[in-house]
Amino acid sequence: MRSISFLLLLLISFTLNAQNNAIQAGERLNYNISYNMSGIMNTIARVTMETSEVKTKKSTLLRLKCTAASFSKWDSYFKIRDLYESYVNPNTLTPYLYKREINEGGHYKFVKYNYDYKTKTVKSLIRKKSKNFESGFWDQNNTVNFSSGTRDIVATLYKLRTLDIHKATVGASDSFNVLFDNENLKLTFKLLGKETISTAIGKKECYKLAIGVSEAILKGENTNIIWLTADENKIPVYARFKVAVGSGELKIQSASGLKN
Amino acid sequence: MRKLFTVLGIVSSIIAVVLALLPISNLAFIPAIIAFVFGVLAFLQIKKENGSKHVVQLTFLLTIIALSLATYKSIYNKTELGNTEQLEKLEKESEEKAIEELEDIEISD
Repeated sequence: MRSISFLLLLLISFTLNAQNNAIQAGERLNYNISYNMSGIMNTIARVTMETSEVKTKKSTLLRLKCTAASFSKWDSYFKIRDLYESYVNPNTLTPYLYKREINEGGHYKFVKYNYDYKTKTVKSLIRKKSKNFESGFWDQNNTVNFSSGTRDIVATLYKLRTLDIHKATVGASDSFNVLFDNENLKLTFKLLGKETISTAIGKKECYKLAIGVSEAILKGENTNIIWLTADENKIPVYARFKVAVGSGELKIQSASGLKN
Repeated sequence: MRKLFTVLGIVSSIIAVVLALLPISNLAFIPAIIAFVFGVLAFLQIKKENGSKHVVQLTFLLTIIALSLATYKSIYNKTELGNTEQLEKLEKESEEKAIEELEDIEISD
């Protein structure tokens, strides 16, 4: 009985740490994305994750910005220019505004979520290119309900870094409610263990975590894996992922402005 | 057998050249090696049977071109970011619009 209570306590502590001791404004992380083609990795794009302070009349927010841009040699074949942003509370990383503007090989999409915590709803706007409208865009406005703790994908990625992973045991997992394309998804992170890996910023001891929709993780399908440094910053240094056509990896190139 | 090796060799060498010209030039090494192997096999058969060597010679020539181009690209071509001016402009505009929208937001811990 005592051991069960201890395990529960560990799981709860993995979940409930709300304060942010890992992220500060001015942090900049650069990554290269490679895509596996017939067993050979091809570097296709640069991903930048940046944080900055945003001051409004009444409050100071943290802007979490992720951009992806393809390398020049790919631009004429499949140009990528993506912008993902989340404006969050600097302490709890609770989001207030989320924007996603993607330009991928001619495909354009803009998504905006305005969170309203009083009514627990998100005002969502999805904009796509369309010839049927004079403006050239088709706007879809919706109101989506969300449960407590729901975040967008950017805020969730940063929130993961604020968890007390060092208190968790191997095999422990945690779930997050994520709003993506107006759908409430349940993403689960499972601690697979600790590993020391070589990166462009040196040899790092890392937490190895599997990410996926809850059902897949429960089945043991660890196709998407992320390595976070096993220090206070918990920055993602390496990730392996599977997409519909093939697989790829994300490797850190540089990190600056870290909190610890 | 000689014809099969010759055809496989020349086709692989053409694929290697095409891949070497594309951004995925790293992939050209695979068909180039295949083309070289079939080229050698075809060459040995031709030597035995005293046939024409023209196609095999072309296979080797194309393979060498593909290998040289792919090697040159892998050594000297730097992975440089494309033009991100528009993206940077979008980032700034997006932040300005966001500040306007968040003007009346009061955050709670």
